[in-house]
Amino acid sequence: MIASLRKYYWIALMAARTNLAYVGEVAARSVFLAILLYIYLRLWTITYAQSNATRLGDLSLEQMLWYLVATQSIYMSTPKVAQNLDQDVRTGTLAVQLVRPLSFPLYYLWNALGERSVRFGITFLVGSIVALILVGPAPLTVPGYLLLLAALPFAFCLDFLGYFLVGLGAFWLEDTSGVLLIYQKSVMLAGGLLIPMELFPDSIKPIVQALPFSSIVYGPAHLFVHPDLAELGNLLLKQGVAICGFTVCVWFVWTLAVKRVHAMGG
Amino acid sequence: MIRYFNKFINYLGLALAYMRFNLRAQLEYRQAFISQVVAMFVNDAFWVVFWCLFFTKFPVVRGWTSKDVITLWAINAAGYGIAFSFFRNVNNIPYLIARGQLDSWMLYPRALLPHLLVGTMSATAIGDAIFGYAVYGFFIRPDIPHMLLFVLLSFGVALVFVSFSILVGSLSFYLGNVEALGDQMRGALVAFSTYPASIFDGAIKLILFSFLPAGFVGYLPAQALRELSFIPVLEVFAGGFVMSCVATFVFYYGLSRYESGSLMEMRG
Repeated sequence: MIASLRKYYWIALMAARTNLAYVGEVAARSVFLAILLYIYLRLWTITYAQSNATRLGDLSLEQMLWYLVATQSIYMSTPKVAQNLDQDVRTGTLAVQLVRPLSFPLYYLWNALGERSVRFGITFLVGSIVALILVGPAPLTVPGYLLLLAALPFAFCLDFLGYFLVGLGAFWLEDTSGVLLIYQKSVMLAGGLLIPMELFPDSIKPIVQALPFSSIVYGPAHLFVHPDLAELGNLLLKQGVAICGFTVCVWFVWTLAVKRVHAMGG
Repeated sequence: MIRYFNKFINYLGLALAYMRFNLRAQLEYRQAFISQVVAMFVNDAFWVVFWCLFFTKFPVVRGWTSKDVITLWAINAAGYGIAFSFFRNVNNIPYLIARGQLDSWMLYPRALLPHLLVGTMSATAIGDAIFGYAVYGFFIRPDIPHMLLFVLLSFGVALVFVSFSILVGSLSFYLGNVEALGDQMRGALVAFSTYPASIFDGAIKLILFSFLPAGFVGYLPAQALRELSFIPVLEVFAGGFVMSCVATFVFYYGLSRYESGSLMEMRG
């Protein structure tokens, strides 16, 4: 068991190290994040001013921008799980991977976690610098960082399972990029990427909160700006239930998919 | 004058032939093509839903209502869709320059840049174009003058998108591979042009009408449609024309610095 875990730990470490070699590239791509944060700041500054409010939902303007730093960092750090899996299925690389003495889905999971941790770290750092310049450090607390760190691994696992399911679609579909786009936008909208759950209309708030997407983006980001142990407990429970449900789906689809793999020598 | 007109008609024939060919190639993978078009439509629809949610809570943002933002999204999507469904190859310019793969395009007895532009098409951009026209027709319910103006403006916006992409792509002649930079610049253009223009002011507004022409693909078309005014339309086309002249100059001036990749290549 421990030997098996160590194997996957090394896979994650290798993926992280590989990505560290491209720190400059990831940081350069974060310029786009800086542009987005500036636009959000303008939009929300005007919205707060027009509403004559110091807080919208339970967030001040500074907290709102830091919330957006966290949500964007989570969203933009996503590795290309579905695209890579799609390619592995189409090119037949999958058959070679299956021969290895490790679980293919777990290999993909740990590889994605290693890659994502580096990408998230860099994106979050760039976003934090931009937010510091734009609104200053006002609402940040140590518990906020700790609760974010506690919620992120499960958020990343849950998101991975979603992307892996999309990638598995390559066994049946000519092209999975369309499904991928819809999944990404579902995370964006229902996950609270641009607007916190508190500001959703009351009629749809319960539906959106019940969906697993809010546990990926909104949950960890809200804990970051509004640390609360009870909320962390609720979030971890939601994440746990969603991970179990998604794992069953992945297992079921994977079992069906593997039966469709035909390998030839050569 | 007649010579130039004949040349233009000749080019239109070439562009139509490429379109037919590229569309047939896309339809070879019919399921993939349809799913990409539908997915892009849905993708854009998610943004409109976001703005509807936003405006449900905050009905007006500095004079802009949900109707204005939907118009903004519609004209952007329609222009972007037209630009990249027919001139998708514009996004490959940095790649072709950096890898020395312009050679095969230079061998044709055609003007290089316009021929290069029609080389490939994008299925997802078709989804954008359909979305733009459908959303404007369905949500805004325009009268005939507004709809005609919308169609006209969508071509002006497409001109700005294509010109901007040529300009950014041509920087590869001077700076090496600018694929990532090009993606970011296009992303920034779309990002700035799909938010209410009234939230920007000062120096940023100046940038949005010069280096990053988001004002020409967002603010001015939306203003023209709101006021049914022709002056912003002329400004959109004038902006597009100036930008296309600058882009063409930068491309052909840069071409003198181009180095072949000595690559053997077959194009079917």
